[in-house]
Amino acid sequence: MRHPWLRRLLDFHGLLFLFFVYAPIIIVVVYSFNSHPVNMMVWKDFTFDWYLSIFGNPTKLNEQTLYVESTDQLLAAVKNSLLVASTTTAFSTIVGTATALAVYRHHFRLKPFYQGLLFMPMVMPDIVLGIALLVFFVNFGIKLGLFSIIIGHCTFLISYVFVVVSARLAGMDDTLEQASADLGANPWITFRRVTLPQILPGIVGGALLAFIISMDDLVITYFIAGVDSTTLPVFIYGMLRRGVKPEINAIATLMLVFSFVIASLGLYFRKRT
Amino acid sequence: MTGAAPEPIAEVREAVKRFPAPEGGVVTALDNISLEVQQGQFATLLGPSGCGKTTLLRTISGFEDLDSGEVRIGGIPVTGVPPYRRPVNTVFQNYALFPHLPVSGNVGYGLEVAGVQRSERDRRVGEALERVGLSGFHRRKPAQLSGGQQQRVALARAIINQPKLLLLDEPLSALDRNLRQSMQLELKSLQHDLGICFLFVTHDQEEALTMSDQVIVLNQGKIEQVGPPEVLYHRPATRFVAEFIGDGALFHGKIQNTDADPVLVTEDGLRIAVGTGPGVGDSATLIIRPEHLSIAPEDPDDSMGVLDAVLEQMVFKGATRQYVCRLANGAAISATPPEASEEAFIRVRPGEPVRLAYRRSKPHLIVETN
Repeated sequence: MRHPWLRRLLDFHGLLFLFFVYAPIIIVVVYSFNSHPVNMMVWKDFTFDWYLSIFGNPTKLNEQTLYVESTDQLLAAVKNSLLVASTTTAFSTIVGTATALAVYRHHFRLKPFYQGLLFMPMVMPDIVLGIALLVFFVNFGIKLGLFSIIIGHCTFLISYVFVVVSARLAGMDDTLEQASADLGANPWITFRRVTLPQILPGIVGGALLAFIISMDDLVITYFIAGVDSTTLPVFIYGMLRRGVKPEINAIATLMLVFSFVIASLGLYFRKRT
Repeated sequence: MTGAAPEPIAEVREAVKRFPAPEGGVVTALDNISLEVQQGQFATLLGPSGCGKTTLLRTISGFEDLDSGEVRIGGIPVTGVPPYRRPVNTVFQNYALFPHLPVSGNVGYGLEVAGVQRSERDRRVGEALERVGLSGFHRRKPAQLSGGQQQRVALARAIINQPKLLLLDEPLSALDRNLRQSMQLELKSLQHDLGICFLFVTHDQEEALTMSDQVIVLNQGKIEQVGPPEVLYHRPATRFVAEFIGDGALFHGKIQNTDADPVLVTEDGLRIAVGTGPGVGDSATLIIRPEHLSIAPEDPDDSMGVLDAVLEQMVFKGATRQYVCRLANGAAISATPPEASEEAFIRVRPGEPVRLAYRRSKPHLIVETN
């Protein structure tokens, strides 16, 4: 880098990029503490009231603004989301990991083709998947509700887990399993003591990814959620359609913190091994 | 076991193994191989890469099944017995240490799997580590060890179960030269102390000669020769063995003249005096090792053969000097004369003619009787 001004330009470019990515998010976080009840883009005072409000605590602001969104509904949506996310995570982690192991171990005709089929749901447009699932459920008489959401999420989250665990398996030294067998360990012990510890970062990473995506999915869920099975993203979308309310900033900030925690956990597990 | 023939620790009988070749067709990795290794022996499978030596090892450890034939360990056929039920252990080429376990966890793995009590396990792990010179390394992770130390951990892990047979798959190939040589001697003495049979796979003939009691030379899925290193070196059974083991010039041709004064005549007309034994008209290959050759005296007697050559260059090898010469037919031949007779060589300048002589009885002749 011969010209110092060129270097400074590059620094500036880097900062500009970060601003571009993070400015909207920072604004949401900052305004979640803004006490202006009507126009949330005008800064008034610092307040925690929106946070209190979303958890059903009556506040002064709350009474003033009268954004009648029932807290019960919100909490139910959060509960639904957590239930869906944890169930799909558990299921897709187990199935995705098992699939990855099977594909890793066995050689069969048209293997690349089947691998392609397993990748597909990841790149399938959400809207197509959503419509397809809706048509499928309706045709087969499956009631739309939490159950249909869980099935719907699993269809593509298995792919995510499969891909992450497969990558980990591909990086594993396959003589390790042989060494274990050579030392007298039967296949189950070998799996538990050698294979599993080796691919655990992949499994955890895949599970966290699945959890975040499931928590956060709007498009597919929107199609296949029943009337009384609203998840958090669908609920927020519904709120937005009736106008942007300050509580949304608070909810978004909480979701952001939650996602950060999950992502940090993932990084921590990856680093540790 | 005096008197009766000793029971072989491992036996391979008429083993055949074929693989589909990547470019289509079939590769025969093991072509009807039979061999035995005895209790307390250091046996080596020697051959170039792709000769089937690793496949043979893996059929004994149980990671490959034979297409036909049989493997017996301790007299018991092990066809269909999975690796984890075979009384053999392996030192893998890349060591295959468990990266998530410390040294003690790696070494004690076999005992833990076998359900040995913790206190007993700790004691034996300590012993095994001491044996390989790694006391005090219990808590290290494999990634914190040097290549040589990893090698020792792999060794300790493999001997702790007291296998009947220890299989070693080119375990020294990743080490640098100095370390490799000292490990060769250590392995040899370890094998002697433990008294268990080692079956060692290598493509390095020097390694095989240094360590083995018995060397099994493999080429293209077939056994070329089985024997102690001295026999392989001095009396190779086939041209392949002669070329693969040790240095030397090979001459292929037909025997002429009488039985009393046989001469090997090569296709390009070189006449080389050989020792008595072969019949006239036999096809034969003569192996002249560098140490057989010296400068011919003024008037060589009948017990000597003489080759006219031109000195090309002298190569300093430390303990010896190697004189590279070229024969009339263009073939290169090397001489490493003993120090006493080196005087005569030193006077010859590169480019000058030189008469090389050898005792007719010394070079080995492989006769392919017609």
